[in-house]
Amino acid sequence: MRGDWDRGWLRYGFIAPALVLLVAMNIFPLLYSIVLSFTNADLVGSNSSWVGVLNYKFVFKFAKYGQALRTTALFVFLAVACELLLGFGLAYALRDRFALKPLVLTVLLVPMMLPQAVMGLFWKLILNGNYGALNQFLGLLGFSQPQWITDPDLKFLSVLMVDVWMWTPFMMLISLAALQAIPPHIYEAAAIDRASPWRTFRRITLPMCAPLLGLAVLLRATDALKQFDLIMALTGPNDRVTQTLSALLYQTVFRDGKVGLGTAYSYVILVLVIALASVFLRYMGRLQRESDS
Amino acid sequence: MNPFLHLNGVDKSHGATRALSGVDLAVGPDELLVILGPTGAGKTTLLRVMAGLDSADAGTVLMDGTDVTDWEPAARDVAFVFQHFALYPAWSVRRNLEFPLRAPGRMLGQREIADRVQWAAELLHIQTLLERPSERLSGGEMQRVAIGRCIVRRPRLFLLDEPLTNLDAKLRETLRVELALLRRTLAIPMVYVTHDQAEALSMADRIAVLSDGKILQVGTPEEVYNRPESPQVARQLGQPAMNVFSVCARSGHWHVGNKGVLAESTAEEGISASLGVRPEHIEPRGGGEDAAVRVVEDAGPTWVLRVDWLGQEVRLIAGKEESYRPGQRIQPRVDAGRVIVWDCEEGV
Repeated sequence: MRGDWDRGWLRYGFIAPALVLLVAMNIFPLLYSIVLSFTNADLVGSNSSWVGVLNYKFVFKFAKYGQALRTTALFVFLAVACELLLGFGLAYALRDRFALKPLVLTVLLVPMMLPQAVMGLFWKLILNGNYGALNQFLGLLGFSQPQWITDPDLKFLSVLMVDVWMWTPFMMLISLAALQAIPPHIYEAAAIDRASPWRTFRRITLPMCAPLLGLAVLLRATDALKQFDLIMALTGPNDRVTQTLSALLYQTVFRDGKVGLGTAYSYVILVLVIALASVFLRYMGRLQRESDS
Repeated sequence: MNPFLHLNGVDKSHGATRALSGVDLAVGPDELLVILGPTGAGKTTLLRVMAGLDSADAGTVLMDGTDVTDWEPAARDVAFVFQHFALYPAWSVRRNLEFPLRAPGRMLGQREIADRVQWAAELLHIQTLLERPSERLSGGEMQRVAIGRCIVRRPRLFLLDEPLTNLDAKLRETLRVELALLRRTLAIPMVYVTHDQAEALSMADRIAVLSDGKILQVGTPEEVYNRPESPQVARQLGQPAMNVFSVCARSGHWHVGNKGVLAESTAEEGISASLGVRPEHIEPRGGGEDAAVRVVEDAGPTWVLRVDWLGQEVRLIAGKEESYRPGQRIQPRVDAGRVIVWDCEEGV
């Protein structure tokens, strides 16, 4: 029927703008970058030629890549673990209502609300070994004044610390939501059932928070995996100790101009991220099933 | 009777609102006491004070002669069934039932725990649900498990806070009967809070009527129903509720203001009072004053009529042998021997 035909085209008409955008911004670049990863394309200049799997071979031979992978893994693990522990701890301490709670929460949430790149620059000033605010302060108290972001032994820790400072509030916020979603009468039932505080925490609070905390860890882990702004601002993209995968990628493509190699890197990273995410999702699924049965 | 639980002059405020004032109450060692009252009367607060979940601002709570006013809930060894079930989610029914038995200091063997869980499950007909996660239970099953979790450890006192309110009518009736049977088996004193007068009347050994944080009357269901001490008590019991009139005795009759004659009276001339008449004690025919039927409700075996009579809405129960329609005029007659008279005052 004519009406159906019209409606069919009308439907496509409505979808078309979104579809065009999706293809132009996501699907085409994705496919084109696969092609690029098999060439020796440069950032400037248009003559590039097919090099086959040479880029991929190079990725695995290149020591820098392994180093960046280790740095990233360590960074993700430490940052997320610290943020989870600190955030949940803070939330647990703040779970009850008190007079200044809204104010305290607002202040605690400020770091999360600020742009990472800007915060990175601020922290670079604060942590500066010679004139930074932190060292001025330490000096006043009579402590030694370490070179926070230039000392190879300290700079990884400094970047980690700033990331923890920025994202602990996020973990706290999610933890607080999880804690407050537990109905109070469950705790009252537990009190009547003579459960000790530790037992109540271990058997009721933690399991009931776990699903939401798991989600927060997933979100934070994927974010930390991509961490670039802070590293760029604090130590730069080509620093041996703090070069994560994203920093290495940036360095390869935009500083060294090796687009072909860079895209090859990014595909290896993509495969890793997908693998990691699926492992995590499977773990979450198992957790869910276990708690169901 | 030596009471097991004794409350003396218990006061409790939530901020500026006074939830309980001067509550005196005693519960016998083998008694089911129902606390009946409308929403906001302080019923739940009273129960929470008994459990130790809330502490009294003033007054004392005695259990078996011991002052437990400052004791924690755990130390009092009471069980509490919440209106909202309060099962531990994500756990199986069995784990829910085992939880109180695994509390520190209980020192029960695996065998004893399994036996007690089995015993409770059989008593509550939930044997087949033991391995099921608690979220996959119906409301009725959840409440059975919640009750089960309370009885496994054989507490000294059983406190139930509107346990059947969130269930549908049919289930409510079934569980009501089961609870009544259960308490005969357990022989543990029980305090049962409800706003449902039918539940109160059918289950209670004694009813305590609570309103605005004060106990208005304590007595057997029969006493509270037939001889309410005040109009407030009378209005809380009976379905439909009792009719209350402001009356004055003149020439051998109760007059409602100058609207007309309600019933014969033996009271002294000129006395004014509040007069309560149950709907079942008003006949639709045979009286001297006209009334207009406003609403006819079918209550199954009888009709419930709401009529405009003597300047107010009056509820009465009529037999099904005759039918009624709104707008119809009837002449209600009050059974003068069954009326209840309160607050007598000498007239002027």
